[in-house]
Amino acid sequence: MPLDTSTYSLALLRVDGRRWNELRRLHAQIRTQAAADGSSYLEMGHTKVMCVVTGPSEPGPRRGGGIGGGAGGQSKDAEVVVNIVIAGFSSVDRKRRGRGDKRTQEMQSTVANALAASLHTHLFPHSQINVSLHVLSQDGSLLAALINAATLACVDAGIPMTDYVAACTAGSTSTYAANDESADPLLDLNHQEEQELPSLTVATLGDSDRVVVLVCESRVQISRLEGMLAVGVDGCKQVRELLDRVVREKGQRMILEGTVEKGTGLNDLD
Amino acid sequence: MPREAEPSLNEKQFVIQALQENLRLDGRELEQYRPLELTLGDQYGVADATLGKTRVLAKASAELTVPYTDRPLDGIFTIATELSPMTSPAFELNRPTETEVLLSRLLEKTVRRSNALDTESLCLIAGQKCWSVRVDVHVLSHDGNLIDAACFAVVSALRHFKKPDTSMEGGVLTVYTAAEREPVPLSWLHSPFCVTWSFYGEQGEIAVLDATWLEEQVRVGSCTISLNRHGEICQISKLGGTPVEAVALLQCSAVSLTKVKEFSTYLDEKLAEDAKRRNKGGLLAELSAENDR
Repeated sequence: MPLDTSTYSLALLRVDGRRWNELRRLHAQIRTQAAADGSSYLEMGHTKVMCVVTGPSEPGPRRGGGIGGGAGGQSKDAEVVVNIVIAGFSSVDRKRRGRGDKRTQEMQSTVANALAASLHTHLFPHSQINVSLHVLSQDGSLLAALINAATLACVDAGIPMTDYVAACTAGSTSTYAANDESADPLLDLNHQEEQELPSLTVATLGDSDRVVVLVCESRVQISRLEGMLAVGVDGCKQVRELLDRVVREKGQRMILEGTVEKGTGLNDLD
Repeated sequence: MPREAEPSLNEKQFVIQALQENLRLDGRELEQYRPLELTLGDQYGVADATLGKTRVLAKASAELTVPYTDRPLDGIFTIATELSPMTSPAFELNRPTETEVLLSRLLEKTVRRSNALDTESLCLIAGQKCWSVRVDVHVLSHDGNLIDAACFAVVSALRHFKKPDTSMEGGVLTVYTAAEREPVPLSWLHSPFCVTWSFYGEQGEIAVLDATWLEEQVRVGSCTISLNRHGEICQISKLGGTPVEAVALLQCSAVSLTKVKEFSTYLDEKLAEDAKRRNKGGLLAELSAENDR
């Protein structure tokens, strides 16, 4: 599907009318499933993801499919097991993806390892944290949306963690073939742009510049990496603010509704 | 399935402490590779790469098949990775472990998705006949840094490989045996190589190249960068692990480029040496089906 990106240089507007440094609408909810330990729903543009966290709990019998970020049930750290289900109706062409799909398995292990770096897994020895992610709609930046949703659900589950792991994508305006130096970096790519332009997914820990996940799957000049990474890291900070606001608003609402008592620790919410 | 034996606490601490003092157990610099050696087989398309005690054998082969219906103009190119119990008891046949999945995905992204091999040139008759090129990766011994060794072996095997020459005349496709016409190399566009960094320390501030198996077991994170010598990044994957400063990653990518250039020159030398060995008395030029236009 060829995309006419040549118009970008004329108006400096992208296919969906955004500027280079604009995120798409990020809408998120936490505690969407009352019965789950932690749950979240996240939309980044038209990419929609649901997440349910179970645990930390006793590890059940080992099932296939899930790939762990920890070292097994007997270790002194909790194991993070991530399962990703990509719904058949999530993309334009209905493509059947089995559990054995290597791309999905790679994403599972990426999300698991990213969470394991931020969660205080050493507090829960011999246990397992199950993260189940469902992709309802795909429109680019899938891995970033998955990481953000998983972070929110872990916050909701009340698992101690260092900070938010916030993720977003960054790209570069011209394809690798066009070796022009005036290429602008772009923030938060949609599906159309992802198909056409070099892109990378960045996830950072909290407010810092420290990169947890960096995935680039397209050919790009090494000189453009710096610009793309800078824009990506900056985007992650914006995403972190948005996620933080979601958590705080939910906390405030829960106090107002009387779901939780206003305790000393919760004073700093308002 | 037996679990991989973990190093003892003392061993772990010793390795980490040494790294913090800029020392490695085998006396290398932090950014130094183990000696990389490549042996090209007598047959075209066999490459055996050794990196210290890590040894990977890659074998390329080609056969005629029907192209996929959705891509009638493209040939087929697959990379098959198999980690057998011969390498380590933790690997089982027909039950891919996480290591194996990630390795095959990395090779896929580095070599296949970056269009290193021009698949369109493998098509002989649109929608009817095409070459199916397959590379089998066998890990013979695993002492860390499987990814870089495997990637080097795959690229070497493909660069060394020659497929039978063909001709089309009046709608008749003829495939020539090696005796009739000298086989032709694949149409190769660029050579990507993987460079894997391992990170150590609380903040992941110590970056080490070409970790051995012991070093790999105690690392807190890793990042694989694939580049070609023209400075094009084909793939980066830092899949979780301890967070690393963005600036440090940029430095890593710059160092990776110099390493990739070294790999590239080494492979070119080896291939030239092999071609010279085969071309005794300069007779190959007469057998060649290619001509100067």
